[in-house]
Amino acid sequence: MKNRLKVLRAERDWSQADLAARLEVSRQSVNAIETGKFDPSLPLAFKLARLFARPIEEIFEDGEP
Amino acid sequence: MECSTGNQAVRRFRYRCYASAALVILFAFVAAASFRLLHLHGVVAYLVAVLPALPILWALIAVGQYLREETDEFQRALHIEYLLWGIGGTLAVTTVWGYLEDFVQVRRFDLIYVYPIFWLFVAIAMPVVRRRYR
Repeated sequence: MKNRLKVLRAERDWSQADLAARLEVSRQSVNAIETGKFDPSLPLAFKLARLFARPIEEIFEDGEP
Repeated sequence: MECSTGNQAVRRFRYRCYASAALVILFAFVAAASFRLLHLHGVVAYLVAVLPALPILWALIAVGQYLREETDEFQRALHIEYLLWGIGGTLAVTTVWGYLEDFVQVRRFDLIYVYPIFWLFVAIAMPVVRRRYR
């Protein structure tokens, strides 16, 4: 699943480790989500949405037409 | 299993694994010495014989506990994938070996090796699976 995590993180000047600490996950998790190799669960997606103060659909694209 | 997050669940899992491994060695010595020196038989013999297997059962339970306690869902997914490789690899090897035993009389496979073979496949799976998520 495509997402805008890298952009949103860069806007705040956060490293992957910074974001991981805020989400209470490993840096590898953030990297896997950011690169689209791992889709987060709904609770984690909501946590990201709250953290970036954006709706989920502004962070993730489902890729379906 | 590989432990990269350094969180509480990983620390607890490591402790349980090391304790289990130490107990397996200790109980194996106790069982071997008991059979050699005490000439056990009957129910006691059965109980002493399974003694080294008990910490292994504990280690398997510890794997389940780790998966339940791990709060990082990506790490949990990775570990489940390692375990699936371990289960699949072990089933493949033992099934193939079983047919070889039946039809071409290869050396009998000692079931005591099933557990180490499982972890061998888990260990092989770790770098392979991790590389996919790099």
